[in-house]
Amino acid sequence: MYGGGNTFEGIKTDSITLEDPIKLAEFEARIERGEKIEPTDWMPQLYRKQLIRMIEQHGHSEIIGALPEGTWITRAPGFKRKMALMAKVQDEVGHAQLLYSAAETLGKSREQMIDDLITGKSKYSNIFNYPTFTWADCCFISWLVDAGAIVNQLANAKGSYGPYCRALDRICAEESFHLKYGHHCVIYLASGTKKQRDMFQEALNRWWPPMMHFFGPSDKISTHTEVLMKWKVKMGTNDDMRNQFLDMYVPKIWELGFTIPDPKLKKNIETNLPAGQAGRWEYTEPDWEEFKRVINGDGPCNKERLEVRRVAEERGKWVREALKTPKTKYVMPLA
Amino acid sequence: MNNLPLKELLYKMADDQLILGHRNSEWTGFGPLLEEDIAFSSMAQDKVGHSLALYTLLNQLGESDPDTVAFTRNANQFHNSILTELPNQEYDFSLIRHFLYDTAEALRFEMLTQSSYEPLAQVAKKVRGELRYHTLHAKTWINQLGSATEESISRLQKSLDYAMPFALGIFEESPYEKQIVDNGIFEGEQALKTKWLTRVEEILSNTSLHLPDFKIIHPVTGGRIGKHSEHLQPLLDEMSEVFRIDPGAEW
Amino acid sequence: MNSLDPRVSRLPQVGQEGKIFPKAPLDQFGTYEVFVQSKEGKPFQHEGIVHAPNLELAYVLAKETFTRRFTCVSLYVVDTRDVFVSPLTDGNRNVYDLLDDVNDDEGKNKFEIYHLAKRGKQHMYAGTVVAASVGGALSKAKAQFGKEKIVYNVWAIETSNIRFTQHEERELWLTLPEKKFRDAAEYKGGGKLKNFLESSSKS
Repeated sequence: MYGGGNTFEGIKTDSITLEDPIKLAEFEARIERGEKIEPTDWMPQLYRKQLIRMIEQHGHSEIIGALPEGTWITRAPGFKRKMALMAKVQDEVGHAQLLYSAAETLGKSREQMIDDLITGKSKYSNIFNYPTFTWADCCFISWLVDAGAIVNQLANAKGSYGPYCRALDRICAEESFHLKYGHHCVIYLASGTKKQRDMFQEALNRWWPPMMHFFGPSDKISTHTEVLMKWKVKMGTNDDMRNQFLDMYVPKIWELGFTIPDPKLKKNIETNLPAGQAGRWEYTEPDWEEFKRVINGDGPCNKERLEVRRVAEERGKWVREALKTPKTKYVMPLA
Repeated sequence: MNNLPLKELLYKMADDQLILGHRNSEWTGFGPLLEEDIAFSSMAQDKVGHSLALYTLLNQLGESDPDTVAFTRNANQFHNSILTELPNQEYDFSLIRHFLYDTAEALRFEMLTQSSYEPLAQVAKKVRGELRYHTLHAKTWINQLGSATEESISRLQKSLDYAMPFALGIFEESPYEKQIVDNGIFEGEQALKTKWLTRVEEILSNTSLHLPDFKIIHPVTGGRIGKHSEHLQPLLDEMSEVFRIDPGAEW
Repeated sequence: MNSLDPRVSRLPQVGQEGKIFPKAPLDQFGTYEVFVQSKEGKPFQHEGIVHAPNLELAYVLAKETFTRRFTCVSLYVVDTRDVFVSPLTDGNRNVYDLLDDVNDDEGKNKFEIYHLAKRGKQHMYAGTVVAASVGGALSKAKAQFGKEKIVYNVWAIETSNIRFTQHEERELWLTLPEKKFRDAAEYKGGGKLKNFLESSSKS
């Protein structure tokens, strides 16, 4: 068949029990032996729905994530930082493009996704609802929020859906520059003047609570989670991801002489612990009520973030309208 | 040899690139189409990169280092054309400015590949591929939007009429114009302007856009001698906001 | 908007906050598949899509969407609808075994053939064939390059539908390797970090 297929109609059911058991078994066997799922494969409704949601949210997080750092593009100090920040924020827009394209292979159009973002129907990573007050806040995001995202991305790159894996491979390749750049910025602040050190310490104090929210609350063990892990849609628990992040980056933050505003934060080094608890980081349980409040719209920047996207779409309308012709017809991307 | 003519040429080119690159970077994240957002940002990075290359040449000629030169001068010390400092407004203006400026820039660098000042000729040869993209991008958008709908044509026409007097300011002659030409550093603003007009007319002839009557419009000049609009100082204040927190600091 | 971001504060008042006019489903630009040659001598590889209103803009936009980093010597784009897609196999089934042989000796049209050698990877250029129809092209492809390794999916693209890079356009990517400000290697903070740690341990 020629490329483009039909986009899929609204999904009517996500109950696995209604799926064809033979097809389901073949599908699960393919995943089990490590073979990727591609767009034209049969897949359960739940798989499709969950992946669309996940990849779409990831795309939204990138396009919204461009805004807190984008705040500092016009004020970056010096040529090196100016050009690097321009490139980094550009990459975030690029990642949104790649992720939306991957989600589109599952049957939801990009314009629908953008509409759902602006109306608040679709969510994005909550950390971007906070303001970057200073250059140091921007550096915090460039280093540690990117580091958190990379922990997730590296895990998800081993997932089962081909287009998402391909997008993540490309994203991970570009992220290596982001991470090194972010760390570089913070090293310079740490080793700079007192003003610079203080600026970063204050930023760190402000951003640590949202950073602890970043990986989400502990997963409730449910059949839902189990199925998604079997289908390699969910690649690790939220707690696992958070622990990995703390393990990799808390030592690096402390190495620079900064303090983290959590007196309970420490790595459990006792050896006679039950399996799975050794080497776990302990910390003050984040305020999940605050997280819920912010992700549902009541954060410092939620309104502004969506308003910026809405205005961008409005202002761009005449450009898109001008170039649409009856010949341009939307189809699903191939891979 | 007195380097003033050469330095003056380099300063105005570098300042043009920096200020326009800075303006264009304001669109990152706000573009009309994701892919176009990405493309416009690439070109803004190229421009800032070109300005860095030119400030580096100036540094080799005894001027301060690029960061100091770019982030600590005030408006009356900048030599960019006023066109580049104007606020972005809507995408039609930014596209028109991109078209008018980049067409001139590509021609200028093409001419400079023959410069008697070898380091400048080297830079000019190197950036050719990048500028090929900038002009391909501008030409494609202007061609398409300039013949698409009533709205796109009228928007572009309005922006073209508004921008043209400022665009002519690009070719404001240097006080050292004669030395620059006689020493083979550059063929001169007049020569550039002539080539530019031909190219612009050629491209616009494929659209529904028309050039204004040059007999009745006046170039907006002054940028080359530090006489700027009210937009430049706020732009510079913003650009240097963090740098000025601690000018001796390393960021 | 009153924002910490001076760019946002300068944004014009447009429409009404929170009020969007939902578009009709599928009311957007079509897609174009993008193929990139990263180094001289390497085969072209599929990289993804751009949304664009036409082929020429697709080329212009694809260049920055997909080749603004790393290395590239050439790029081309084609409308998604002009890519013929074979069925998809898995395990150790070669998709060519599912395709009928078509007798096609009179054909004069060129087709670019792409293979998916492993699920999850990108389609890679396998070769160009000449045939009258897509069926004929796939038969030729099977005979010429379909028998060595397992192929899971084949794309056939009629060459005349492609917007290629012209010879003189190859200079578009010449300076890519020099733009080091986007390379991780430019941001080795190790030396500065080491000096900092040494001096702070002294105090």
